[in-house]
Amino acid sequence: MSLLPGLARFGRFLGQIVWSTVSNPLPVGRALEEAHRIGVNSLPILLVVSVFVGTNLSVQGASAFSTIHAERYVGMFVALAGVREMAPIMVASMVAAKAGTEMASQIAVMRIQEQIDALEVMAIDPYWFLITPRLLGILLVLPALTMISIFTLVVSAYGVAITQLGLDGHTFLEQATATTHAMDLVYCAVKAFVFGLVICVLSCYHGFTSGAGASGVGRATNAAVVMAAVSCAILNYLLSELLFG
Amino acid sequence: MSPDRTSVSRTLVPDPVAIRIEELRKSFGDLVVLDGVSLDILQGKTTAILGPSGCGKSVLLKHIVGLLRPDSGHVWIDGIDMAIATPEEKLQVRKRFGMLFQHGALFEDLTAGENIAFPLRYHTRLTAAQRRARAQEVLELVEMPELHDRPTSALSGGQRKRVALARAIVLEPQVVLFDEPNSGLDPMTSTTIDDLILRMKERLGITFVVITHDIVQAVRISDWVGMLWQGRLVAYAPLPVFLHSEHPIVRRFLSRTL
Ligand SMILES: Nc1ncnc2c1ncn2[C@@H]1O[C@H](COP(=O)(O)OP(=O)(O)O)[C@@H](O)[C@H]1O
Ligand SMILES: [Mg+2]
Repeated sequence: MSLLPGLARFGRFLGQIVWSTVSNPLPVGRALEEAHRIGVNSLPILLVVSVFVGTNLSVQGASAFSTIHAERYVGMFVALAGVREMAPIMVASMVAAKAGTEMASQIAVMRIQEQIDALEVMAIDPYWFLITPRLLGILLVLPALTMISIFTLVVSAYGVAITQLGLDGHTFLEQATATTHAMDLVYCAVKAFVFGLVICVLSCYHGFTSGAGASGVGRATNAAVVMAAVSCAILNYLLSELLFG
Repeated sequence: MSPDRTSVSRTLVPDPVAIRIEELRKSFGDLVVLDGVSLDILQGKTTAILGPSGCGKSVLLKHIVGLLRPDSGHVWIDGIDMAIATPEEKLQVRKRFGMLFQHGALFEDLTAGENIAFPLRYHTRLTAAQRRARAQEVLELVEMPELHDRPTSALSGGQRKRVALARAIVLEPQVVLFDEPNSGLDPMTSTTIDDLILRMKERLGITFVVITHDIVQAVRISDWVGMLWQGRLVAYAPLPVFLHSEHPIVRRFLSRTL
């Protein structure tokens, strides 16, 4: 697809989501269901990854700072790299891989089986029915998942720091809290919110515009997760510049 | 609907037009699918559109409900041109329409009964229990009363068609569009579906538009028959007239199956 018509099509898609969401009743129940499903599906893998990213941040932080005898800065390193950067993008990638692909493939299947056409003919707005609950669900749950990931990551980094690396726990926490504030958590939530928006919109867009057949669904799903992951990575940089810069 | 359908009254009093299609044209890239199709679909009648597969039958149907926008031409329904209708106007028309898609288009994660009750949930004030009862009622109409709690993914092809048919009529629409109700079905199930259509027309006075490549079905159920060929409607007439059409394409279609 050439760039300009593609962008115009995407723009119309966005406009339609906004219009459909504000001009219909809020699907509160279905949004909560989505939030619950996304949360439950992503949480186990998220916890495991957060634990082991936390451990390695401590180990690598210690090995970097030990060359200048500044191990006491490991806490600061974990707070800056882990809390501000790693946790939000990690959660976004995980949710893009699990929930995003699921959204894209479910909607793509509905598209090729004419279920979306059927919704329209039944006079039910398919954007409102299919996208609004998923969007609200992911916006609700992604900041929460990010907070859980941050907490897990810091606890595991702390655990490794005091047990395996023999660092002073008090110093670790002091350094960590000196560099991060409550506002950092708010900014992380903002990031999560933006990532959730991007993942949901891109996944649903690729689902809605899926080509025919199983290969069409496969391509749509693949494009959705790649675009979502790349967009989140780039946005993570821009948002960090904007929020923490 | 009046039970009196003598040919005399039919010729003297013109039937009201439910859907008027005028010079409809649609291309996908270089592929010309509809090349100036015009026809009047009469109210309370069953109209069959015949044509080989890939000739644009589904595309024509999707223009009627406004799922596709033509390159030019009009689809008039109750003074609304579906070709340029606003979303609100389309909604207004669609609330009186039911459509059976070629492959059913049922929601896979719902049961058969939930699929049928689905439109009720969004367009009526019925309680959950009332919706359930109504879905069961319609299931009985399509002679599948035992399917209510069956997961959709466990339905056979013929069962799917009937559940989709039940969903299409649950709101008691005035017009029902069928996209190949018989495709992929065995002859016996096909006959049952034909009988269902005949019975519903009699009982509910519905206007049916049936897309099919099955001449046998067209003969069994329709009042009017059209033949779509290379983007044009090459014949359109009451069934008895159609069967004696001299048009070579119609003759070829008829000779193949009869
Ligand atoms: N959305 C679309 N985009 C491109 N081509 C399409 C689209 N829908 C249908 N076509 C093409 O239009 C032609 C007619 O399709 P269709 O109406 O589905 O045939 P049938 O008469 O078997 O129902 C086919 O060649 C099909 O490939
Ligand atoms: Mg077709």
